[in-house]
Parts: sequence; C-alpha cells; structure tokens
Amino acid sequence: MTLTEGASVLEAVFESALAHRAEPTNTYVSLHEISMRGMIDLRGLNTDKKFMAAAKQVLGIDLPKAPRTSETFGDVKALWLSPDQWMILCARDKAPALTAQLTEALAGIHSLAVDVSDMRAIIRVEGEGAREVMMKGSSLDFTDDDFKPGYVRRIRFAEIAALFNIVEDNVIDLYVFRSYAHYTMDFLTKAARKGSEVAALRK
Amino acid sequence: MLLVTCPICGAEGDETDFHFGGQAHIARPATTNPEGITDAQQREYLFTRINPKGLHFERARCDRGCGKWFHIARDTMTMEIKAYYGVTELPPPDIIAQAKGGWAELFAERTAHAKKTK
Ligand SMILES: [Zn+2]
Repeated sequence: MTLTEGASVLEAVFESALAHRAEPTNTYVSLHEISMRGMIDLRGLNTDKKFMAAAKQVLGIDLPKAPRTSETFGDVKALWLSPDQWMILCARDKAPALTAQLTEALAGIHSLAVDVSDMRAIIRVEGEGAREVMMKGSSLDFTDDDFKPGYVRRIRFAEIAALFNIVEDNVIDLYVFRSYAHYTMDFLTKAARKGSEVAALRK
Repeated sequence: MLLVTCPICGAEGDETDFHFGGQAHIARPATTNPEGITDAQQREYLFTRINPKGLHFERARCDRGCGKWFHIARDTMTMEIKAYYGVTELPPPDIIAQAKGGWAELFAERTAHAKKTK
C-alpha cells in the first residue's frame, strides 16, 4: 500500500470521537472538537545529538528541551512531554507520511515514531473564560504568569489523564484519550454553563 | 497531604498525582547471582524494609506529568521532603550524611562499592 492510498483509506474510515455530537450551547466559552489533526508519538533521548539532528532535519524544528514548552515550524508543532518524548502535531492527512519520514531518518538511532492520531480526542476551549473553565477541572492556577501561549502540560483533568496546550491567550487545546471524549465534553459543558462564571477570577 | 514537585517536569501535586514506588535503593540479589541466593537473602529482599522515624528514602513516579520515576528523601515525622534526586542516583551527600540506622549502613556500603568500581 502506498502512502497516497493510505491517506484515502484513512479519509474513508476515520470518524472523530465527537462527530455526531452537536456542539454545546448555553456555555460561556466555545467548546469544539478539533478532528483533523495528526499526532505522532516521538521518542528518543534529548541528549543524543544524532537523534535531535535527525528530528530537526525532518520536522524543521529543534525539539524543545525545556519542560512544558512547545516549538512550531509552519504547520508542524512539537509538544514537550518528557525528556525523551514529544508529541508532533501536523495535518491529519500528512501524519502517515511524516511518520514514515521520521522512521527513515531515525534508522539506527535508539528512537521511536508512531502515528497515534486516533489515540486522542482534542477539544478546544476558547473564549474569555477559557482559563477559568480549565481551573474547574484541575488543581492548577491558570492565571499564573507561567501559563503563556506555547505552554504544554500533562495533568489530571476532571479525574482523567489529559494534556493541554495553551495556543493563544484564551485558546486552550485539551487532549484526552479518545474513549474519554464524551465524558470530557460533558464535564466542560457543565463547567462552562452560562451563569456559572466565577466572579473572583474576573479582572 | 504530601505536596510533591516532580524534579523532571516540574509538575506539582498531591501524592495522588504520583505513583508511590515503595522504599528506594532495594537491590535484587538474584540479578547478579541467581544460583547462589540463600533463602535468607531472598526473604530480606522481598519483605524486610527499613522503617525509620525520621529521614527515609522512597521512589515515586510522575503519573500525570512526564511519567518518569524519581527518588524522594522524606522525613516520616514531619512529612517534609528533604530532597529529590534521579532514579539511578544516590541521595545528595549532605542528605546521606543525615541518614541513620539501616539507611546509614546501606549508603556506606553503596558509596564504598561505587568508589571501588570507579
Ligand atoms: Zn514529571
């Protein structure tokens, strides 16, 4: 099977986790699923110069070494997950080819690149109260100065394993394992219900 | 509640955000000498633990953050965390100096061994 055929098969069978769910209304932030994003799990040692160089050659970016940061180059983005793990984001239809390129460039280097685009669902929390809604599900202070655009972190959100990335000031992408997508959307819909704004957090 | 900060990714949380890994620095005797292990040695490895009042050494995993294992030096009386250090490392020298009883013996043995193999 060539990669082009692979892409068309993918289009034919892929259905996002929340595909048949109407977007919530009556919330004070917008909540919608981002479905056409490709995700690649990339593992290797950040101290291995060969690994870092090979990743850069394919992705065009230096993989971020600082905890909780991300790097962007064009439509490719690398999220720091641990000293030896990154999540590479790209257009969904490009993920299989990009994974193949990574695998090829990393041949012989202790590493791993796997297309995990189906593993997680992504919900974008957007609007004035985005940080506030995130705070209702976690123990973190999203008003802290550290929480700037580009910030990445794995957390426990509403009692489940999650990952978030602050995209812009009031735009936060929340990644959860696919089977938790409806639960997370239910939680967010309740947490962001109009009238439940937290006055104390408003400037 | 024990408040923990991961030394690798900086995630902070209570102990439920971390996976407790039990006592640190337990060496499995059968790894180096599976044939020559006595029942007493195996019993020691499986069941005997140091249970001090005061400075203690434990392992933890950053479950909701980077997923890495690390070590914690904790005071069992005050619950104060004295140090974090890598999962393949011994505690910082100033912490080792404060260790008592079984821990002092264990670190003396390990540092002597480390010097010999250097
Ligand atoms: Zn961590």
